[in-house]
Amino acid sequence: MSEPSSALVRLVNQMPDPDQRGMYCTDIDKEKIEGAIRSILKGGRDNIIGVIDMLVEPGKGDDVKAHYALHCMALHVCKVDNDRPRRRFARTLASQIGGDRPKEVQKYLIQQLQVAGGKEAVEALGGVLVDEELCEPAAQALAAIGEGAAEQLSKALSRVSGKCRLTILQNLGVVRASESVDALKKAVSDEDEAVRMTAVWALANIGDADSAKMLVSTADKSDGWERIQATKACLLLAERLGAAGKKTEAVRIYKHLRDTRTKSAERYVSDAAKTGLAAID
Amino acid sequence: MQKSKRVTRRQFLKGSVGAAAAFTIVPRHVLAGSGQTPPSEKFGGALIGCGGRGNGTFGGLGPDVEKLAICDVKFVKHADNKKVYTDFRRVLERKDIDVVAIATHPGWHALISIAAMEAGKDVLCEKPMTRFIAEGRAVAEAEKRYNRIFQIGTYGRFGRSRSQGDILTHKIMKSGLLKPCKGVHIKRGGLKVREWSGMVNVKPQPIPETLDWDMYCGPAPLRPYHPHRFGGTHRGYWDYEGGGLADMGQHHFDPVQWTFAKDDTSPVEIEAFAPPAHPEACGMWGWVELKYADGLTFVMDSTEWPENQKPSYNRKESRGVSLSDLSEEDQKKIKEIPDPEPLVGFPEAIRTRKQAGGHAAAAHRCATILHLANIAIRMGRKIQYDPVKEEIIGDEEANRLVNQPMRAPWHL
Repeated sequence: MSEPSSALVRLVNQMPDPDQRGMYCTDIDKEKIEGAIRSILKGGRDNIIGVIDMLVEPGKGDDVKAHYALHCMALHVCKVDNDRPRRRFARTLASQIGGDRPKEVQKYLIQQLQVAGGKEAVEALGGVLVDEELCEPAAQALAAIGEGAAEQLSKALSRVSGKCRLTILQNLGVVRASESVDALKKAVSDEDEAVRMTAVWALANIGDADSAKMLVSTADKSDGWERIQATKACLLLAERLGAAGKKTEAVRIYKHLRDTRTKSAERYVSDAAKTGLAAID
Repeated sequence: MQKSKRVTRRQFLKGSVGAAAAFTIVPRHVLAGSGQTPPSEKFGGALIGCGGRGNGTFGGLGPDVEKLAICDVKFVKHADNKKVYTDFRRVLERKDIDVVAIATHPGWHALISIAAMEAGKDVLCEKPMTRFIAEGRAVAEAEKRYNRIFQIGTYGRFGRSRSQGDILTHKIMKSGLLKPCKGVHIKRGGLKVREWSGMVNVKPQPIPETLDWDMYCGPAPLRPYHPHRFGGTHRGYWDYEGGGLADMGQHHFDPVQWTFAKDDTSPVEIEAFAPPAHPEACGMWGWVELKYADGLTFVMDSTEWPENQKPSYNRKESRGVSLSDLSEEDQKKIKEIPDPEPLVGFPEAIRTRKQAGGHAAAAHRCATILHLANIAIRMGRKIQYDPVKEEIIGDEEANRLVNQPMRAPWHL
């Protein structure tokens, strides 16, 4: 990490000072900020790294202006018609994660990749999915980027446990990674309720027809919150299957719920299934 | 999980108990005396989120709801899991709870509303409805899927729906005869921009022992604790809300949206004047212009930009909609259109199972106005929106604010 140039420091210092309440509510000069950001970005990778070098962990120093400047840069590179500055910005940020910068700083870089990153950042984000402190923002950034996310999430799944595993399972559902269905099915019988419920939802969201029996059985044998969530997954799966033209499988789920959720406390589920059936017919 | 032998109002009316006993119900005045609701006709209610707006929101459930449970992440030292909870999931498991009032920070509104409807409860949710657009669509889908009652905690549209002037505008706009529409509605001030901004220099502080901070953050990133992120000042952080614009905006635009008959669509073109937004803290902006496909334009002028407190928007003048905008033939058609049905309040809706006036699909469209305004502010560029697909057109990065990833295990 080298000292930023005095020219860069001057540009970053053009970002506003917080007011007496610690807010950006006074002395906000839009043109001055935007002009400084354009100038910083003209300095290319060196200036981007220079701004990153000014970032510190929360509570460990004053990086208010650099913190704001980096986000302004992320917004700016998304605004210009030419995609090259955005790619260069994202590649530079991606090159700075996974190393020995403080984890809170890396988290922030990942969050900026969620704003401005594309497929050029996906591999670097995939690399930190195994890091307990970075897996959440990394998985979210991957889900936001979309392209290439499923591959990275699937690749990392077998190497993680605990919070990282839960996070990856959920995001496999978010990006509807059909190649991960087997791993998700295994997770349905996990000893951790959160993992079980996440896997059940992910399978439903993916719309995996072969999971129907497993989801219905999970819903039938559970109670409390787990029953509510597994039942929701069954209805979601039926909707997904119906939309995909797999009407027979959808009808089977709806009919089961219609015929089994008949006690007063769950009659609304039976009614929801009837409505679903009618929509399919 | 709580097991109660108490028969709730809904079970009584819709279940086997009600079917057998419906003809022998004792009139309420015999059981409970003049002006009182007997216990058998009470709904079981819960309040989730017991901050400043909690009791006010619960009051919106009406007089026939008995408060059986309260829940808040700040009750760590007081929770008994019988009446007082820290985890809303334990509340929603209770079969004797029929309705819930939600007054958490808005980052939780959609998830708890959806979970409550999945559990068969009706919902009154404090405004603003959501933190981002996809949440609102998911709430509306849950309302439809489970046929539950949802009402947003703002009521201005009920007055509009009884005003002859607003009813006439509503009919003109609903008819679709006014094309192009030259109407311009400008909201100047009142959106608490400075008041509900966030701090940009927060220093981490110890988490209070009574607070479940992880649960407070919920689907949002787990940040270091700072008291300004908690309580009413949470409004200044994108993690939980969208500043004064999103918060006060729903009060203002929900009735306006009804008047202009825009409950089932959204603006298509949005432009803002604002400095680059801070990544975490909501801050200053000058104005936002939102145009619908038919030409109707809504404007928000913060009047807090720059410091002179004067209006900063001067692109268009306010302009109403009137019968004289139409041909004589079309005016006749409007006069033949019957007035819309009166909007149904939440207490009546949960009894009659009629859709509430501030139902989820309408509240979602209003929240969308505010989210689109904030997206234009945050992205710093003009955006085009597809109100059917509910996506921003040709702007991948802006779409990342339409549907935002959540921290596991929370998801839509």
